[in-house]
Amino acid sequence: MTVNSKQAISTRNEEMIVKLKTESGMPVIGYICCFAPPELIAAAGALPYRITGIPGADNSAADAYVEPYGCTYVRNILARAVKGELDYLDGLVISHSCDMVQRLYGIWTYYHPLAYSYMFNVPHQLTPWSKRFFKRELGFFKESLEKYTGNEITNESLRKAIDNSNLNRKLIRKLYNMRKEDKPLFEGSEIIELLIDGGTLPAEQFRKVLEEKLAEAENREAGKEPKPRIMIWGSIMDDPSLFKMIEETGGTVITDDTCIGTRVWDKDIPLTDDLYDGLTSHYFENFQCPRTDRGPGVKRFDYLLERAREYRVNGVVGYCISFCDPHKFDYPDLRDLLKKERVPFLLIDDNYSFEPAGSIRTRLQAFIEML
Amino acid sequence: MLVAGIDVGSLTAEVVLIKDGNIIHYVIMPTGSNSKKAAERALDSALHAMGMKEPDLDYVVATGYGRISIDIADKRITEITCHGRGAVYLNPGVRTVIDIGGQDSKVIRLNDEGKVFDFAMNDKCAAGTGRFLEVMAQALEVGIDELAGLSEKARDTVAISSMCTVFAESEVVSLIARGLPREEIARGLHQSIADRTAGLVRRVGMEELVMITGGVAKNRALVKALNEKLVTTIIVPEEPQIAGALGAALLAQEELSS
Repeated sequence: MTVNSKQAISTRNEEMIVKLKTESGMPVIGYICCFAPPELIAAAGALPYRITGIPGADNSAADAYVEPYGCTYVRNILARAVKGELDYLDGLVISHSCDMVQRLYGIWTYYHPLAYSYMFNVPHQLTPWSKRFFKRELGFFKESLEKYTGNEITNESLRKAIDNSNLNRKLIRKLYNMRKEDKPLFEGSEIIELLIDGGTLPAEQFRKVLEEKLAEAENREAGKEPKPRIMIWGSIMDDPSLFKMIEETGGTVITDDTCIGTRVWDKDIPLTDDLYDGLTSHYFENFQCPRTDRGPGVKRFDYLLERAREYRVNGVVGYCISFCDPHKFDYPDLRDLLKKERVPFLLIDDNYSFEPAGSIRTRLQAFIEML
Repeated sequence: MLVAGIDVGSLTAEVVLIKDGNIIHYVIMPTGSNSKKAAERALDSALHAMGMKEPDLDYVVATGYGRISIDIADKRITEITCHGRGAVYLNPGVRTVIDIGGQDSKVIRLNDEGKVFDFAMNDKCAAGTGRFLEVMAQALEVGIDELAGLSEKARDTVAISSMCTVFAESEVVSLIARGLPREEIARGLHQSIADRTAGLVRRVGMEELVMITGGVAKNRALVKALNEKLVTTIIVPEEPQIAGALGAALLAQEELSS
């Protein structure tokens, strides 16, 4: 069931991007992780597309390249690439967010070269020097995109791309804000489905999806009973299964801290005099992926606690893809902090399949009964 | 007021009937391949023994892995909440419940009001559960009931290093082939489950009193190994297997009186 619903979203998006490609004649540049700004891809006159996996799908095609104990998400994407499911991509941009994702880049481009590929380097520590490094990397990325597309990325075109995606951020914040109510108009899984559905697409297409949802939501009636309010924290989850399982077991997902949800969309990209400063601030300095070490003395999870209070969260469900080192590294600190703050916390460890569903449901339901 | 609690696990299904606050009957049956039918069979047999019928029931709570498929249930509650409730009823002083069933093990922490405030479940495999013991009993060619007795006869322990049921089975087979006494292997197996369970207990922390529920609680050798490992005296209820169904029936009763 989970596989089917996911396949439907992926297929829908992929049909859409192929259609856009055919109509516009623009190349599709796929990206993984949120460090290389899709706004630069759009400003270069290409179509940015966030590549998604299919949880629970057969990953065996990746076995020839990656050990079975490697991250299942990466293995899943690699299997898709090897099977030719992503052949519509003209280009590929992968950020060095973690070592597995970096290896994905190496294996993919070595065995299945694309017309354009770029490995976007991201420093692991947050320092004044690493911010300069990141800004320079943006410059190299810009040059490589210009060389490939033959289009210059001007300040005007970049500004327009940032405006476009910030407009979406405004709409998304509106959607999230509606979830603050006691009896929200719609379920959390609807939002995340929308973000997977539209967030993978170029900004203009995404805006249409968002506007439709907002217009439709205005005609809805609230009135369902208040349910335990859950926040989801964790590694990549380009699938609504966990949200739906929480809803089926009696809770409701009010907000999240994931890179499909709020980490990307909650805050606007600042429009600084030098646009690259704003991009550095958004995609590096303030991007809350645990792969970046924010240094000693930093209150790592202040943003999360603030969000939990703002949305009156009753409990946090963590989601970790097995062997996701960055998130597992953060887990003990987060667990201890939430314990101190008396916020119940449940960690679901998954191999990017949301199976065995029965056992995950029992954990979730017991957690919700506990709240 | 007649209520029933039905607990359908991976290996057995249990039903507890409570009438006007008193436990009047319980049954334990194998689940087989159809959890829905197992639940119906167990409930029918319990009602039949008391000369009652399904329409006499005022409220039914289902729990366990099969809870979703039980149509007659008015409410479905997880086995974590139910075992917690059942344990507190059996001994109000219980703060930690170790439940080892057919295919999973859980440690449940209860607060002073007897409510669950934290829990830990084993990983996705059957290591350290009833199923593990069944497979090992088979490898040692003894009945599941004889495993504890066999282990108690051992003078020494053979360490079992594999925790995975499949790997541990091949390890046991090779230990037998090497001519090591089956008693000592049996003791090693109990030891390894106790180690794993103790690890689960440490994840949520232990507070006394500690109670063990689920079918594996009937294994004396394991309880002994756990007592030594956790330095405590674990309470074993008279019929540990029905704790989940009992909790479900108690919650059904509360549901009606609330």
